[in-house]
This record gives sequence, structure tokens and C-alpha cells, in this order.
Amino acid sequence: MNRFSPAGSRFLLGALVAALALVSAGCGRTPPASFRLNLVESTKQRLTREQEQQVSTVLLAMFGTPDDPHALPETGLDEAKLRLAAGPVRSDIVGRKNGLYREHCAHCHGITGDALGPTAAFLNPYPRDYRPGVFKFKSTERADKPTHADLTRILRNGIPGTSMPSFALLSAAQIDALVEYVKYLSIRGETELGLMRAFFELDDDAQGKLPESREFLVDEMLAPVAEKWKAAAAAQIAVPEMPAGLDLAASIAKGKELFYGDKANCVKCHGPTALGDGQANDYDDWNKAIVEIRKELNGTLENAAKASGGTAEEAADRRQQLAWVDRFQGVLEGDSLRPRTIPPRNLRTGVYRGGRRPVDLYYRIHAGINGAPMPAAKGTVSPEDIWHIVNYIRSLPYDFDGELGVDRPMVARDRF
Amino acid sequence: MMRLLAVSSIACLLALAGCGRSRVSVPVPDKEAADRLRATFAVAAGAAATAGVEQVSGTGWATLKGRFTFAGTPGQPKSLVVDKDTEVCSKGGMKLLDRSLLVDPSSKGLANVVVFARKTSRVKNPVGDSPLVFDQKNCEFLSPVFAARVGQPIDVRNSDPIGHNTNIAGTSFNQLIPANQGTAYKPDAETGMPTMVTCNIHPWMKAYAVFRKDGYVAVSAGDGSFTISDLPAGEPLEFQVWHERSSGPNGALGLDKPELKWTPKGRFQIRLEADEVKDLGTIEVPGSAIGT
Repeated sequence: MNRFSPAGSRFLLGALVAALALVSAGCGRTPPASFRLNLVESTKQRLTREQEQQVSTVLLAMFGTPDDPHALPETGLDEAKLRLAAGPVRSDIVGRKNGLYREHCAHCHGITGDALGPTAAFLNPYPRDYRPGVFKFKSTERADKPTHADLTRILRNGIPGTSMPSFALLSAAQIDALVEYVKYLSIRGETELGLMRAFFELDDDAQGKLPESREFLVDEMLAPVAEKWKAAAAAQIAVPEMPAGLDLAASIAKGKELFYGDKANCVKCHGPTALGDGQANDYDDWNKAIVEIRKELNGTLENAAKASGGTAEEAADRRQQLAWVDRFQGVLEGDSLRPRTIPPRNLRTGVYRGGRRPVDLYYRIHAGINGAPMPAAKGTVSPEDIWHIVNYIRSLPYDFDGELGVDRPMVARDRF
Repeated sequence: MMRLLAVSSIACLLALAGCGRSRVSVPVPDKEAADRLRATFAVAAGAAATAGVEQVSGTGWATLKGRFTFAGTPGQPKSLVVDKDTEVCSKGGMKLLDRSLLVDPSSKGLANVVVFARKTSRVKNPVGDSPLVFDQKNCEFLSPVFAARVGQPIDVRNSDPIGHNTNIAGTSFNQLIPANQGTAYKPDAETGMPTMVTCNIHPWMKAYAVFRKDGYVAVSAGDGSFTISDLPAGEPLEFQVWHERSSGPNGALGLDKPELKWTPKGRFQIRLEADEVKDLGTIEVPGSAIGT
């Protein structure tokens, strides 16, 4: 006898079709956009579900949602600009385009500014994660935030050599709104990191709950982050003029000496050929954070594999550790990208991510690159010597009779 | 019929797979609580009634000391991979070793445990103005764990014939240090738990730095002993304990010591009398407290 009677299988088929319809309906619904919690940090800090919820509630109170942003006066942000950039892509009553961030930025930088947009994994380098509040290409000292003008320049020019395009076709007001929105996401993200780390600093009588007073949340957690952004304009690097009447050939020769010398030591990372082939297996701060977590998880697993016996308490401890590792691996799977090393820049191509004006190179050498291994030369290398290095670096793409004796700019493939 | 059944089952499975992106779910914020919070934010600063916490403080000063020992088996320290500037960094076949778990073989003393006071109401000594030296030689930081006071000048030195850079995580200090030179640095904020110090040119180089405003911080010596002197007496003090390899959160060294109310966050509480020299004696760290 056939186990599937026609009636039975018709019923099954009906049920399956209904299930399919339900499942597809589930897929098609678009919930309102929401900011995603920084799960990597909250798991690292071993926050409980209740603590994670407290953080997201506090953030909702402070910053609102992607469709309805809120800016406390302490942030110094202009809410009108944020509204132009936030929300779904649409036109307002006078035909003005709204939702600029989601139109132009979110697919890489993510709704939350966590650099986990749908295209992020396919880009090299990865897009910037705004949440740690660290930016590379700026005119301010290493520890300081970029100025409004710095971010505007990045949006106008793009970042050559990366997937960041130029948005020069947008109006000045639109770029201005987007810069404001990037600051908003960054202040939000950095405040979130601070809140998550604050749980560890709590006294035991706080019972694992952050105080919900204005003094703690706004004055202690939010305001210091916002203050750094407000202070950026005053933190610009003072660049002395390139010495007048400089003999360019002599300056380049001096710069070359510094490049290879022990004082500036550029050669160690950018390599003896300046092709970026020196110390090349390091990570930037964003990737290093993930590398360190992975190392810790692997170490914990190894230890657990070795350990055995002990008291019941120790065994329970180990089980708890393993559960944490398991959860963390799940979080990394969905909320981080595979870490990549950061190669030092190939200085022979004439492509400079932070801008190709001489002063851009001066800033990079003077203050180093925040978040990247590139150290600051200020203090140990004089401003005049920095200018010599700038001149040498700028000559490298045209240095046709370099080591290889070729009649065209040397590029990495000549060497590898 | 059977084929239709199979096709629709597969379609169902595919549809389900499409929906189920493998991201861990996040908690939903409490909308009502957020609205209430936002209302409190709108109140002008200072207007909210602040319950002033009465700071209990006594007079006089006291000293805390003790000695950490390790009860587990530390194992052989791993050699580090040294692949740059080998003419200096592995001069004459010298091997650099991993220093993350240093145990004195005879006394079992555990070195490089950091102990610091979390909050103090009074500070006895002003910040010193003679620089502390943080040196590197043979491609190794000479202090694996370095403690300093906020505002204290530090001479970050390089005693090698090659250039280094010193990168203190979380502080934005990342400076080139030319051969046989130094650069001045003044920490301007507390680190919380110790922060990592690296050299990007020689990636195996690693140390930790801890900066505290009040300077009530000690790093255990080779025999595991530590001393913090001039602590404010007559007030409850809470200390934080850290070790690089501790299995606790953020390196917190949690121990089973109920008499000191030692917590899994690596903190213990104590109250000292004026002129008291409190010796905690031998503090044994079990093998299980050391993780990765």
C-alpha cells in the first residue's frame, strides 16, 4: 500500500504551500531601520542581556533612531542637518532629497556606521567603522578628531586607492549634512563603547546597572566625546612654510637620507625600494581588535582542551568560559569581518589616500596616522626635515632610474 | 504529486535559509524607559537634585604590601619569532622569550601583577617632575609592565642602535624613537586597566602601561612582592588587581579570598589605620586563574 494517500499528500502540499507563503511574507516585510548594538564590545565586556538592553535604551534616549535622529545640545550637532541625512531616501515637500546617508553611505558604512554594510566584506580596504571615533586623514594632531573641513574634503575628493568615491556632485549643503551625520554616528558609537566599558568600572553595590542620572549619562559619558569634536578646529597642526629658496634637488637628497636613516626610519616599513614591502604583517587598530579577540578565544579553547578534573566549581567555570567562547564566535561571524593586515603605502605610485597636496603629506609624517601603525615623527624630526622627506616622497613616482634602472615608474609588480 | 511536494519542500527550505542570516540577535530598547530618560536629559544641568555622597575620610597614611605566588605549573616560555633587524634583535644567537607569565622558580613569586587603588579621597605626594625611564634594548621593552602617574614626565628611550616606535594603545601616543635617543611623554589620562604598548616595526615587542592619577599603583617584582605606600588611612579602600594572562574580564585577577571580599572582577577591599603597614602575606594565584 502506498504510504502517501492522494488525500494525505494533497494536505501536506497545501500545508507546505501555506508555509512557503508565510515564510516569504516574513522575508518581504521591512521593519523600520534600527541601530545595531556593538555586540563585539558587549560580548567582550561579558555584558548580560539586561545590561545590553540598558545600553540600547540609553542610546535610544540620547540619539533616537536612524529614521528619527535626536541630538542633545551637548553634542553640538545641528539636528536640521541630521534630518536631511537620516531616514529612508525620499523627497520632501519642496522636492529636496532626504535620506542622503542611506542613499550614498549606508551600503558600505552600515546604518549604524559600524562598517558592516552589505558591500563592506567585498572591499579592500574595508570601509571605516566610525564607532571608535578614530579617523586617519586629518589636519589635527594624532589624538584629536578631524575638523569639519577635513571630513568635507574626504567626501569631496574621495580616498584615492580605496573604494571611497568622490561625492563632489552633491551640493555643499548635502555634503555638510552628511559630515554632520558621520559625526553623529561617531559620537553615538563612541558613547556606546564608553557605556559598555563603564559596566566593568561599576562598584559592586551598583548591581550591574549603570546609574541613569543626567550627570552620569550626559555629563560623564556623552559630553567628553562631544567635547573632543568641538575642540578639533583648535587642534590643527601648525605647519611652518617650506623653507624659502629651497634647492629642490638638495632637499630631495636630504629627504632620501632621512628616509633610509635611523632617525625617521621610513625604510623599515615602506621598504628599501619604497614599494611598501618592509614590515607588512601588522594590523590597523580596527582589525587588531578582532585579531586579539580571536587569539583570546583560541587560547581559552586550547586551555580548556588541556584542563581536566579539578573541583566541580572549576569545571563549572570552564563550562561558562566555553559558553562565552561559543557565543563570541557566533557574534564574530555576523558582526565582524575577517581581519586583514595593513600594508604600508607603496610610495612609488603617486596615490596618496589622505590627499596629495604637500601639506597632506606633512600632516601624515608629523602626526602619524591615527589607528594605523604609522608613527608620528614630530618631536624627533624637525619641521624642516619633515619638508625634506615630503619632497623626497613626492619625487619617488618619478624616480625612473631607481634600483631597477627602468624607464617608467617602479611599481610593486616589478619586485614581486 | 510527489515531485510537487519535493519541489515545494525545497523552496520552503531555501526561503527559510534566505531569511536566516546568521547574526546574533540584539535586545530591543525599552521605548518607554527611553522617553523617560530623554525627559531627564532635558532638565538643565545641575538642576537635578544631586544626592551628595558623603566622602568618609580619615587622617594619616598607611602602607599595603603582599606577595603573589603562582600555584600552577608555568611551563616553558615560548620563544618569540624575531624576523626583523636580526643583527641587533638576535645578536649572537640571543633568543627573546615570551614574558607574559614570569614565575620565580625558587620562591614561586609571580611577577608583573598590577595592583592599584580604584578611588582615593586624598593623595599625599605631588606628581614628581623627574622623568621615569621607559627603555627598550635588544628589541625588547625593559619594563614588561610599566606604571606611572598621570602628569608624570616619562622619558621613552631607545637604547638600541636601530630605530623603534612606541605605540601606547588607547592614548594616541605613537612616536618614532630614533636610535639611542628618547622622547618625552606625559600621560594625560588614566588608562583604567593596563593598556598594551607595542612597536610596529618589530611586532613581537610588547609591554603594558598603567597610568593612575593618584599614583597608588604597584607592579609585583620578580619575587612577586609589591608595596604601595602613603595610602590614605581611615577610609575604605578598594583595589583592582590585574595580570596579563588572567582569565577574568579585561585581565582582572579574580581570586577566592572571602576575607578580603575578593570579587571575580579582581577587586578586594581593605581599610587601613594611620601608620599601619598592612602585610597581606602570600597571595596564592591558582593555575586556573591564568587563562590564555
